[in-house]
Amino acid sequence: MTTEKPNDGEANDRPFATQTLDEALAANGDAEAVVDVDEPTQQLVLFQLNGQRFALPGSAVSEILSSDQPVYYVPGLPASTEGVLHLRGKIESVISLHRLIGLPAPEGSNQGMILLVSAAGMTSGVRIEQLDDVSEVTQSMLQAPPETLSGTLRPYVSALLQIDEREALALLDPEALFDAYQQGLG
Amino acid sequence: MPLHRGHHEQAQVALVLFSVGPYRAALEARHVLAMTGHPTALRTANAQTLLYDEDDHNSPPDRWLTLSDAQAASGNSTWQLGVSGDITLQQLPANTLYPLPKLLLSRRFSTALCGLTFDQQQLVLLLDARKLSPPKH
Repeated sequence: MTTEKPNDGEANDRPFATQTLDEALAANGDAEAVVDVDEPTQQLVLFQLNGQRFALPGSAVSEILSSDQPVYYVPGLPASTEGVLHLRGKIESVISLHRLIGLPAPEGSNQGMILLVSAAGMTSGVRIEQLDDVSEVTQSMLQAPPETLSGTLRPYVSALLQIDEREALALLDPEALFDAYQQGLG
Repeated sequence: MPLHRGHHEQAQVALVLFSVGPYRAALEARHVLAMTGHPTALRTANAQTLLYDEDDHNSPPDRWLTLSDAQAASGNSTWQLGVSGDITLQQLPANTLYPLPKLLLSRRFSTALCGLTFDQQQLVLLLDARKLSPPKH
């Protein structure tokens, strides 16, 4: 077996540095990781409840209503039902998720936007305290919820989105939330 | 004979509107047999105690609506529902009467609460008279 040397005259004068194929491919690749454009993505609506960050699938959120949207109180319903809103010839409920997911109820009057959420064949407004963002994430950025997640929250979390090394937000499952609400929880 | 679509769009429903504590409510007029200023029936109930459990707004009724007791064995049995406030008979467009949102159906204190509408920009609780009955003693 003979060894072929490069034809380049300058290269012939230099000693060869040994490198594995992996090293060579890695060195010639892009230094920064890139998002695979073919990877499926999911739109998320990011918001806060009690200072904690949560998300709902964008596919379930049909509208984001401003905080001045009138909500009418209806007696004879649990405290987690804020009331109803009258939106373009339809009546939709407005609920709070705090009690359902184990958060203390907010003090004072209801402020913040309302997400109009559709799931399990129903539509309802969900009061949030702050809208953070509407963003597109790849499926690989979503991780299965860990065993250590609180038991109260766990039934309603479909995935975790790692924001940085210290913080992750919970992607809520709207169908599980509505099912539980109907069963008398929250 | 099925009604023409145009008839549905113009349909109206006769309702008796009244107050229950601080809230407005309504019953379909065909279920209200009479109204008196004091109870005359053997069985009566304050609408507040049937519709919600809020002591804060408890106030005595000053009008009594006579209703058929849909849940009585005898079809001729009647009882009286205690209400208050202005009592009016109104024809409201059918397309402004909304069913209670699905999510709330299983959480309501009373199954008589079947829908919602608005009268002069105030929410009105629509009640199904057939689901109302006085407490059994």
